[in-house]
Amino acid sequence: MLLQLKNIFKWVNSGGQRIFLLKDINLEVAEGEFISVMGPSGSGKSTLLNVIGMLDTFDEGEYNFLDESVHTLKEKHRSNLYKEYIGFVFQSYHLLDDLTVQENLEMPLLYKKFKGSERKAMVADMLDRFNIVGKKDLFPAQLSGGQQQLVGVARALIANPKLILADEPTGNLNSQQSEEIMELFKKLNQEEGVTIIQVTHSEKNAAYGSRIINLLDGRKV
Amino acid sequence: MFKNYLKIAWRNLFKNKGYTIINIGGLALGIAVALFIGLWVHDELSFNTNFKNHERIAQVLMNKTGNGETRTRYNHPYPLADELRSTYGDDFDEVVMSSFPGDNVLSLKDKHLNEYGAFMEKGFLRMFSFPMLKGNHNALSNPNAIIISESTAKAFFGDEDPMEKTMQLNNDAVVTVKGVFKNLPKNANIFDALSAFSEPKALQFVASWELYVTMNDWVKTARDQKLWDNNSYLLYAQIADNSSMQSVSDKIKNVLYQHLPEGTKRSNPQIFLHAMEDWHLRSTFQNGQSVGGTIQYVRMFGIIGIFVLLLACINFMNLSTARAQKRAKEVGIRKTVGSRRNQLVGQFMFESLLVTLCAFILACGLVLLFLPFFNQLANKQILFPFVNPIFWIICAGLILVTSLLAGSYPAVYLSSFRPVKVLKGTIRTGRSATSFRKVLVVVQFTVSIILVAGTVVVNRQIQHSKDRPVGYDKNGLVMVEKTTEDYQGKYNALRDALKETGVVQEMAESSSPLTEVWNSNAGYEWEGKDPDFVTNIVAFYVSHDYGNTVDWDLAQGRDFSRDFASDSTSYILNEAAVKYMGLENPIGKKIRWYDGQHEVIGVVKNLLTESPFEPIKPAIYSINYNQTNWINLKLVYGKSLAASLGQIETVFGKFSPGVPLNYQFVDAAFEKKFKTEERMRKLSEIFSILAIFISCLGLFGLATFMAEQRTKEIGIRKVLGASVPSLFQLLSKEFVVLIIVSGLIAVPVAYHFMKQWLENYTYRTSMPWWVFGTAVIGVLLVAILTVSYQAIKAAKVNPIKSLRTE
Repeated sequence: MLLQLKNIFKWVNSGGQRIFLLKDINLEVAEGEFISVMGPSGSGKSTLLNVIGMLDTFDEGEYNFLDESVHTLKEKHRSNLYKEYIGFVFQSYHLLDDLTVQENLEMPLLYKKFKGSERKAMVADMLDRFNIVGKKDLFPAQLSGGQQQLVGVARALIANPKLILADEPTGNLNSQQSEEIMELFKKLNQEEGVTIIQVTHSEKNAAYGSRIINLLDGRKV
Repeated sequence: MFKNYLKIAWRNLFKNKGYTIINIGGLALGIAVALFIGLWVHDELSFNTNFKNHERIAQVLMNKTGNGETRTRYNHPYPLADELRSTYGDDFDEVVMSSFPGDNVLSLKDKHLNEYGAFMEKGFLRMFSFPMLKGNHNALSNPNAIIISESTAKAFFGDEDPMEKTMQLNNDAVVTVKGVFKNLPKNANIFDALSAFSEPKALQFVASWELYVTMNDWVKTARDQKLWDNNSYLLYAQIADNSSMQSVSDKIKNVLYQHLPEGTKRSNPQIFLHAMEDWHLRSTFQNGQSVGGTIQYVRMFGIIGIFVLLLACINFMNLSTARAQKRAKEVGIRKTVGSRRNQLVGQFMFESLLVTLCAFILACGLVLLFLPFFNQLANKQILFPFVNPIFWIICAGLILVTSLLAGSYPAVYLSSFRPVKVLKGTIRTGRSATSFRKVLVVVQFTVSIILVAGTVVVNRQIQHSKDRPVGYDKNGLVMVEKTTEDYQGKYNALRDALKETGVVQEMAESSSPLTEVWNSNAGYEWEGKDPDFVTNIVAFYVSHDYGNTVDWDLAQGRDFSRDFASDSTSYILNEAAVKYMGLENPIGKKIRWYDGQHEVIGVVKNLLTESPFEPIKPAIYSINYNQTNWINLKLVYGKSLAASLGQIETVFGKFSPGVPLNYQFVDAAFEKKFKTEERMRKLSEIFSILAIFISCLGLFGLATFMAEQRTKEIGIRKVLGASVPSLFQLLSKEFVVLIIVSGLIAVPVAYHFMKQWLENYTYRTSMPWWVFGTAVIGVLLVAILTVSYQAIKAAKVNPIKSLRTE
C-alpha cells in the first residue's frame, strides 16, 4: 500500500456557509497503479491532488503515506516526506525561465544534496532517456510546449520518486504532443513501476490509466 | 547549489535591466555617500593624531570671568611657561611657548615670499615629534635658527641643500636654516583652534624663540620684567607619562591667579589643559566649558550618511517585495521540488549580497571619480585608502550589513509563499506587504523632507547673517598687513604717494584688520560706572583717515580730524559701547584709562568685525600711529583691478623694497567668516539632492510595478469610460497621500533639529511655516513628476491590449 485516504473532508467558510471542496473521500493507492482522476471543473480534482501531494491541508480525516500518518505530522516532516517520494508535473510546466533545461533538471538534486558528479550523471541519464540531449542548453522559452512538458516530467522523475502527481499534464498541449506524453507515462508505469496519479478532462487520456476515479462536487461517484 | 544561485541571480539581474539599474544604481549612490561621509568623518577624527605623543599633548587655555560671564582664551603671560617648568616640572615632560602664527616675509637675496609661521621654544620639535627631513629635533637651539617646510625649501633653494644657508626674516633678522620638515597634511594643524573664522594655513616655518625676543622689544620687556599681566603668547605642554590631563589641570589652575599683581586679580583667571585630540573637534567654549565644535558636524553628517544608506536599502527592499509576484512562481517551483524555506532565504540573501557587492564596486568608482571634487568642497586632502586593511574590513562589514538590511525583508517575505497558491496564480501580494512598502516610502520621504527643510534653514541663516549691516563699505577695500618695520613713521609719505597714483581714494592704518579684533582692554572708568563692573572693551587704534577709508556711519558727534590737536586723545565709541557703558549723552563725556582722560567726540554705528552670528562687542576707536599693523586702502571706483593693484604694489615696493605685497580684499576676508556654514550648506545641499534622487528612484520603480499590477484594472476602467487624467489621478493619489504623511512627520522633527542648530548662533534667522511648506511641496512635486511618467504611460495603454492577456 502506497497511500490511503480515509474520510477526508476539506472545506472553506464563505458568508457563514461551509462550502465543501472535498467530501468524505476514501482512497487506497497501491504501488504501481496508474490512476486517472476525472470530473467537471470545480469538482475538486486539483484539490485532491494537492492534498495527496501534501501541498495542501485538509480539515478532517486520515491520510497515511507509506505507513506514516500525514495528518499528525508537522509541516516540516510533511514537506520532507513529499520531497523524498513525490514528483509533480504541472499543466503549465512551471519550469524556471532563467535556467536552461539541464539546470532545471539539476535543481531538485541540489536540494537533495547530491554530489556534483552524481548530479551530472543523473542529469545526463535523464536527458538521454527523454532524448533531449540536444536541447540541454536551451531555455524553456526556446522549446515547444510538448518539449517543455517533457522536461517537466523528467524533472519530476529525476530524484526517483515513488509517486508522480500530474495535474492536467496535457492541458496545454496539442493532440500529438498529448499522446507522446501519455505514452511516456504509460511506459514509466509499466516498465519502471512508477505510481502515477493524473488529473485529466479527456476520456482518451484517462484510458491510459488502470483505474479511473470520478469526482463531482468534492465527492467520489 | 551556490553556482545555481549565482546563475539565477545573474540572469535575473540581467533580464530586468531597468530594475537592476535602479536597484544597483540607487544602492551604489547610497554607499558612495556613506563612503564619502565615512572618509570625511575619519579625517575629522584623525586630526592631529599623527603626532606621536598626541595623547599627552595639550594646549594651556585660560578661563577669565567678568560680569558673570566666563570667556576662554588662548593667550598667556610670558613668565607662566617658566613657572610651570620650574614648580610643576614633575607633571610636564615639556612646556613650550609659541608666538601667534602669522605671515612673515622670508627672503633669500632678491627673492621675497610671504610665509606663514611662528616662533617657538626649542622643545617644540621633540614634543610634537616633528617630521624632520633634514636636521634634528635640536634644530631650534641655535638663537638664529629657522626650520622651513619642504615646499618652502623647494621655493627658495630648488634642488640645492638649504641646510646652514642664511636667509632674512621680515627684512630684519638674519636666520640660518637648521632643518627642513615634511609638509604637514591638512589634518595636522597645531593652530587649528585659532582659525575659526578664516581658512587654516599650512605651517611653512618655525623660527627660534630667542629670535622672537630679539626682534620684538615688547617681548623682551615682558621677559626681562616678568610681566604677569600681558597675555600675548600661546602655551603648549606635554604631560608626564604617569599623570592625567585632569589631574594636571586641577593642580595648575590657580598658578596664574597667584602671580597676578594685586588689583588685576578680579577676572580670576583659571588655567587648564585642552587635550590635543580635542583641538579640532571640541574647541567651542561657552562659559568656560567645552560645548563641542566640529564634533557636532561630525555627528550630524554621520547620521545623514547612515540615513542616506538606509534610504538606498529601503529602495532595495521595496522593489524586491514589489517584484514578489514575478519571483513567486520560482519560489513555488523550488518548494515543490524540495527547497526548504531557509534555503530560499539563503538564496535571496545571496542575491542581495551580490547586488550590494556590485553596488559597492560601482560606489568605489564614484568615490574615486568625485573625490577631488569632494576634497575641494570640504577643503580636505582625503586619499582613497587603497592599502589600508582596516578600510577594507570596514567596507566588508558595510557590505554585509547593507545586504542583510536590504535583503532580509524580501528574503523572509518571498520565502513565505505557499507553493499551491503561488502555482495556481492566485497569490496577490498581500495587504501586509503593501502597507509595509508604504511605511518604507514614508520613511524615505520623511528623511528627504527633513534634509530639504534643513538645507533651506541653513541657507536662510547664512543669508540672514550676510544681509546684516556691517557698518562700513566693503567694496573696493583692501587690507595690507605690515609685515616689516619699513613703513614706521612714513604714514603721510605713503598716503600721499598712494593717492597720487589715482587708483587709491583714501588710506588709513589700524591695529586690527577690519574682519578681526586683535586688541581688547580692561580698566576703563567713566562717570556713573558701577565700581564692581569689570570692563572689557575692544580697542581699535587707527589713523585720522580711518573713518573716510572704511566709510563708517556717524550716529552722533564727529569723526577724528587733524584740525583738533586734542583728537590724539579723543575717543570714538560704537553704539554697542554707548549701550554697554550706559551713557545717555555720550558726546563730551570723559572716559579714564591707565594713560589718562579721554573725551568722547563721536559715536559710530556698529562695525561688524568679528563673528557675523554674534552681537557686536563694545568698541573704542582712538588715534595711535604706533600701534597699527594694517594699512587699509579704499580703491577708486571703476578702475581695472589688476592695474590698480600693480600701481599700488609699485608704491609699496618703494617703501619696502622687494617685499611682496601681502594684501586681502575685505569682502573676501568677510566671506571666510561663513566658511563652516557655507561648507555645511553645500554638503547638505548635495546630500539632500541625493536623498531625494534615491527616494525618487525607488518611487519610480515602485510606480512601474504598481502600474503593471493594475494593468487589468486600468483596462477595465478605460473600457468603462475613464479618461487619462482621471486614471493619472487614480495612480498618483496614493503616492501623494504618502508624501503628505511624510511631511506631517518630517516637519516637527526638522523644526526641532534646526531650532537646536540655530541656537548655536546668537544672531539667527527665523523659521516661518513656509520654510517647511516649501520643503514638503517641493518634494511632493518632484515625486509626482517621478510617478507621472509611469502613470501616464499606464493610463494611455489601449485597453484591448491589457485585457487580451486574460
